[in-house]
Amino acid sequence: MPIPSEWDLTGKKAIITADSRGWTPYLAGALAEAGADVAIAGSESSDMAEAATAVESHGRNAVAIPTDLTDSASVQDMVTAAVEGLGGVDILVNNARAEFGKRFELVTEDEWNRYMDFTLKSVFLTCQAVGSYMLEQGSGHIVNIGSGLSQRGLWNSVAVCAAQGAIHQMTSSLALEWGRQGIRVNGVGAGWVTPEEPSEDDQKELLVRYLPSRRKGHPNDLAALVVYLSSDACDFVTGQTIFIDGGALAHA
Amino acid sequence: MLEEKLNLEGKSVVITGGGTGLGREMTLAMARAGADLVIASRRIGPIQEVADMVCDLGRKGVAISTDVTDSAQVNALMEASIAELGKVDVLFNNAGIVRGQGATPIWEISDEDWHLGIDTNMSSAFYCSRAIAKHMVERGSGKIINLSSGFGYRGGRDNYMYCVGKGGIVQLTRTLATSLSRYGITSTCIVPGFIPTEGTDESRLTLPRGEFIPIGRVGHPHEIGAIAVFLASSASDYMNGEAFAIDGGGLAGGYAPTGHAPEIPLTV
Repeated sequence: MPIPSEWDLTGKKAIITADSRGWTPYLAGALAEAGADVAIAGSESSDMAEAATAVESHGRNAVAIPTDLTDSASVQDMVTAAVEGLGGVDILVNNARAEFGKRFELVTEDEWNRYMDFTLKSVFLTCQAVGSYMLEQGSGHIVNIGSGLSQRGLWNSVAVCAAQGAIHQMTSSLALEWGRQGIRVNGVGAGWVTPEEPSEDDQKELLVRYLPSRRKGHPNDLAALVVYLSSDACDFVTGQTIFIDGGALAHA
Repeated sequence: MLEEKLNLEGKSVVITGGGTGLGREMTLAMARAGADLVIASRRIGPIQEVADMVCDLGRKGVAISTDVTDSAQVNALMEASIAELGKVDVLFNNAGIVRGQGATPIWEISDEDWHLGIDTNMSSAFYCSRAIAKHMVERGSGKIINLSSGFGYRGGRDNYMYCVGKGGIVQLTRTLATSLSRYGITSTCIVPGFIPTEGTDESRLTLPRGEFIPIGRVGHPHEIGAIAVFLASSASDYMNGEAFAIDGGGLAGGYAPTGHAPEIPLTV
């Protein structure tokens, strides 16, 4: 049984942003499995190299582009390099985000700025730089990997929740602004997702037992959705963040 | 990974209201992805036609005439489905009623109108879920997919039974997820925006419909097929209690006229 045509990305060119959480190889690998060539943009300490290997394992073209996602000039250079390296760009997956958990009264101004720059401003910069290219092209798909923390608060997570709420609304608003210029902007709202192998200890964690699905998710749980939201068949879906969270929001 | 996860071969699906409109598109999309299906609706003609098309695709397709607002008939449907398919992996609560449901001032709605609308749009999904839940619990797996609507999230003028029923579907989805996950059963729902089908009330087509949808056009029925396949497949196993909207940006920004917000210089 072949992959349904709605998941076919043959001939498509994608950019995905990378961080050090280890999700990028799975998501970039899924784009490649569906037929896309993929540019991976991230810092030297990101999972960029593993992601490139995952793309190449599907026989697709991978370009790893060292990028400071918090710097507009670096992001612009990255987009130029991706367009040259792949021959265009049809898909942008904003996967990169920082990790941070700390009591609010102890958060320093520097931490706040660094967190917001990497998690939120980077989405502004990539959407604008790649979006300008897509606007000229008259088509494109942007997928913002977000979190259920755009909808719910969490201890030690004021900055995280504020940034996620902002990304959620960027997805909605940008979808409207570019909706009649052929660009689709959607989000994937991840629950508690980790590339680590599930272990029996997980079941002892109160938060895992609290999730209706009673397990943490894996980046592969998001992969098929990311591919669909990147495909031309996904034209009537825009401005949406689809949550894949093991039932967390339904319950919490 | 994608190929394996999106493959519905060996999956048995029961879909209500699968003979016409979006249900027909979703049924055929799932059959193309490999599913065997029981298609249930009151009128046998359309569902038999779709069942034949499913068979032509090399899958098992069975039409069972059922009034889904009658719980006894729903119970019989699930028993017959298990007998026909051997098991039920996916219940697709798609049946609903749009025609004759809109544009009635509240004081003109009879008890009978209210019950018909709520029974068809909401209670039917409850009856079907209740009738199949034990079977899924015994098997330790199952997916219940419901069809809501943008009107499950927003108010619609003079559109009581549809909006209230579809809003109830969203909460049914969350409650099934919260309650049945421990038995390996997930629940999700699809939230279509304006996708005209042969059942769409023609009076609504006189509205400047595309103009009020952010992307500038209405949806095409075939566009919903992929979402049905996704939710029925193991590609969506970690999605639970959540909705998948396909609405051209409707819920993202409301249906306010697009492109009319002012530009304002940054002022601090």
